[in-house]
Amino acid sequence: MSAEPAVDASAEGARPRRRFLLEESDFDEVPARYRRFYRHWKGAGDELAANEVLCPVCKVVIRSTRELRAGDRLYCMACMTRLRVRAGEAGRLEADCEY
Amino acid sequence: MAGPRPNDAAVEVHDLDPEEFLAQVHSFEFWFHSVEGYLAGTSHGHRLGAREAPMAAAERDRLVTVLCNYCVGETAALEGASGLIAIAPNRLAKIFLSTQVVDEGRHLEVLLHRLGELGVADPEAEVERRASPSLREFKRRLLGLVGSKDWEAALFAQNVILEAMEFSVFQTHARSADPVTAEVLSNIVKDERRHIGFGENELGRRLRESPHRRARLGEVKRDLDALVLETFEETLREIGLPASERPDLGRSYLAAVSRLGFP
Repeated sequence: MSAEPAVDASAEGARPRRRFLLEESDFDEVPARYRRFYRHWKGAGDELAANEVLCPVCKVVIRSTRELRAGDRLYCMACMTRLRVRAGEAGRLEADCEY
Repeated sequence: MAGPRPNDAAVEVHDLDPEEFLAQVHSFEFWFHSVEGYLAGTSHGHRLGAREAPMAAAERDRLVTVLCNYCVGETAALEGASGLIAIAPNRLAKIFLSTQVVDEGRHLEVLLHRLGELGVADPEAEVERRASPSLREFKRRLLGLVGSKDWEAALFAQNVILEAMEFSVFQTHARSADPVTAEVLSNIVKDERRHIGFGENELGRRLRESPHRRARLGEVKRDLDALVLETFEETLREIGLPASERPDLGRSYLAAVSRLGFP
């Protein structure tokens, strides 16, 4: 995964979001065309990038082509969950289920 | 065509319309292309040519007991999921459950086959002989809920309680199992992700629309909690993990029920 120059200024009054080019991952649990949006979590020492958040239901890392911010909607296709990003403790982004 | 095209490299999957997302992930089409990713090229849940590791007789015997109990759980899930189709409240749930039935049937088949690979002459008779009483009781109560057409309670028992238990136990066991068993279990866990997600999300939506159903599910939880935790403990003892190395296996289950609003 690599970060590209900022091109998306959709966040209101904030600095533009970074964009990310998602490379294929080894995640094989969703149809091929969606695999780059997910990767396996490697445990406590696995640092999440600015475009990644951990699914609270099935513990798969969800990736976006955009830098994530609180309020963003995400989908975990591995466990069929709709999620909403929020700022967690220590500034780390987390996600809550939206049933 | 309106809306984003998910097969377009420039498109963000998270921009899908929420209803379109739900329709896709519940579909047989989605299931087929998902399982193809990890089951293509396998035979009975593991790669052809996967090598057996040497195993002492006592270790093999413990593994046979554990696999027999997994077969009881998978049989419960197979019979439970097939019964749930008739009482599911909408088309998406019925279609998803039909994919779950296929998954559970596959799990039972590969686990029975694994018992045969380990030298068990009559795997089904061995399952009958070794099955844990608490797991048998859990199965009896689960099928009772399905039989009484209690959709929320049966789904809670099966796709939240039973599936969370299997998800945690299989993941943990796969880390220490012989290579062939580990592969079989890892591929089952990939199916279980969908099953736990379906249960939690479906119940979450039902509880949001009808909060009064929470009390009934609380009763089911109180009724089955002890059986679930007892089964966790029995299995861990058989796997042979020392207590100090045992993760909090109930964590996945407790986290799910907590997200659904149960203490």
